[in-house]
Amino acid sequence: MTKKKIYSLDKNYSADIFFKRPDKYKEIEIESSKFDNIITMGSCNSYTPASFRKNALSIQLTKFNRIIEFDKNQKLITVEAGIMLSDLFNFTLARGLWVPQIPGYPTITIGGAIASNSHGKSCGFHGTIKKQIKRIKIFHKLHGWLNLSNEENRDIFDLTIGGLGLTGSIVEVQLRLEELSGNNFVTKIIKTDSSSDAVKKINFDVKKETYCYSWNRSDSFKNFGKGFVFQNELNVSSNNKLTKNIKLNNSDINKNFIINFWNKYSVFFAQSVYQNYFKFFKSKQYEESFQKAIFPFIGKEFYFKLFGKKGFLESQIIVPFDKTEIFIDEVETIFKKHDPLITLYSLKNFKGEQKNLRFENDGICFTFDFVKNSKNLFFMNKLDKICEKYHLTPSIIKDSRLKLETIEKCYKDFNRFKEEINKFDNKRIYKSTLTDKLMI
Amino acid sequence: MSNLIIGASSGLGREIAYEFARNSKNLILISRNLKDLEILKSDLEIKFKIEVNVFQLDFSDLNEVSKFILDNTKVLEKIDGVLFPIGMMKENDNVKNSNDDLISIFSANFYSINFFISHILNIFEEKKDGFIVGFGSISGAIGREINVSYSSAKRALENYFESLIISNLKNHIKVQFYILGYIDTNLSFGKKLLLPKGSPVNLAKIVYKNLGKKGIKKFFPFWWIFIDMAIKILPFFITKKIIKFFN
Repeated sequence: MTKKKIYSLDKNYSADIFFKRPDKYKEIEIESSKFDNIITMGSCNSYTPASFRKNALSIQLTKFNRIIEFDKNQKLITVEAGIMLSDLFNFTLARGLWVPQIPGYPTITIGGAIASNSHGKSCGFHGTIKKQIKRIKIFHKLHGWLNLSNEENRDIFDLTIGGLGLTGSIVEVQLRLEELSGNNFVTKIIKTDSSSDAVKKINFDVKKETYCYSWNRSDSFKNFGKGFVFQNELNVSSNNKLTKNIKLNNSDINKNFIINFWNKYSVFFAQSVYQNYFKFFKSKQYEESFQKAIFPFIGKEFYFKLFGKKGFLESQIIVPFDKTEIFIDEVETIFKKHDPLITLYSLKNFKGEQKNLRFENDGICFTFDFVKNSKNLFFMNKLDKICEKYHLTPSIIKDSRLKLETIEKCYKDFNRFKEEINKFDNKRIYKSTLTDKLMI
Repeated sequence: MSNLIIGASSGLGREIAYEFARNSKNLILISRNLKDLEILKSDLEIKFKIEVNVFQLDFSDLNEVSKFILDNTKVLEKIDGVLFPIGMMKENDNVKNSNDDLISIFSANFYSINFFISHILNIFEEKKDGFIVGFGSISGAIGREINVSYSSAKRALENYFESLIISNLKNHIKVQFYILGYIDTNLSFGKKLLLPKGSPVNLAKIVYKNLGKKGIKKFFPFWWIFIDMAIKILPFFITKKIIKFFN
């Protein structure tokens, strides 16, 4: 079997791996039987090395992409886990149904979204994808085929959602679908003067089905936090069935330019242009297609490419509402002192209960993208200390640099999760570079 | 009326099934793997609102194929055409194969197809219509060290299909044969190959488009025709030296 070199999307990890893409159920069993260490791979779009490990088998399930059952009245769909979000939505949206808690890029598979417990822009209202999962079928080399749900193998069901693929290969999933009224969004733009102002405007009404996020400047201390809050609301006056398919850009999100284009000047330039475009050329309210509102990175893949071969780093942190002011104070203090190069700064609402390694909590989710350099790494270490001090929730699936020490302090269930995984898979067959780092 | 696809559960067969479904054609799908067939059936029926029937059948067992034909005469009488995107390889297929391996490899890649077509031809001759599509392999162009019996069976199949084309020139039965080079299926996945792989989706489209044509023999991807010609033109003692050089 030939080996292949694979990179995480943020380019901070790579490994020579054994790679198989079965297209028959029997082949999952056969290929799994040949290796001591296995991890399942979806589209390999994870920022972190969650779907590969040196010399282990990455079993890619993108050929398991079919619809097994669909019940429109019950709003239930059973799919194979390798189905891409675009393929799933091209079917469900035409029937006025969807899953709101999805990541911002449509080539991600539903299995990958479950293993990382994905959230969408409306997670302040809808929570995470966990809420939509009724049943999962996994294959585990030691345990064989297992049905997981709240009624059957409940503990493993709980470990599997957001479980980073450690309970085996997620092969089939039954999802509860939500109705989508309207086929596009009305987007309102609200100007913000600071991070605190953005928090106030973003946290305006969590009981309303609004897809809300902010874009904030990060090019200098003077501008830090200035920007806009985007509120996407479903345009109920439009036809309630989506007639246009989600179209993928041919651009490979995993291929970067050779050099990094982001520096102090280019970030200042890009952020000034973006801010002034929305300030002067875009109306305060406009209609936006479903694809643009929900998958904003389609057509903007060049953003990742601009980081060059060295890649980037992303930090995503959930800050409980009562700690947002102190968090912003602390971040602004270290920003002023260390002057990091942040290419993207964004906020959104979050709702959920933190359990196992799931990135979930009630609060505001802060996202920062960094160019990979020593100054930024130092800044990110300072962010870790803030997380530890205030028991915030940093994202394991987004930040490949995150240290075990920080995770142990911020995830109260970390040791219990590790014990449960070791109990279920005592030979520790399912592992990735990411989980090696977590020593699970 | 339905279209019969033998070896439909994976690779090229699966893509052909989708191409027919996109064109609203009802299907009968045959494969060794019932679980995969049933899931494919669900997906096709849900997405394309067509009628799909599935049968589990192992083409490496000639007796099983014979029994299937006897048991399903009524089903076979209603088909418009049959496609054989089927191929079976075995590890360690070399010049010293066991009897069991020889029988199963030749049955799956040649005998059963030949036998099946013999029966189908009677039905098509009576109806004065029908199509038969076969798939060979470039591996059948010359002898080799690995996949020895597989490539021999594919060479025999190519010969048989040429005979089939010639024998049906004067009637309404359409026969097509595609000789495949590297195709992007799970068999070639992750392998470093000298030439680019052809897309099974594109091939399925070509196959569907050509269904009405008589007596086709094509290479896919097309550039393999030049390699095949070179192999056939060169004297064997030169080909032998080239193979030795690359080994």
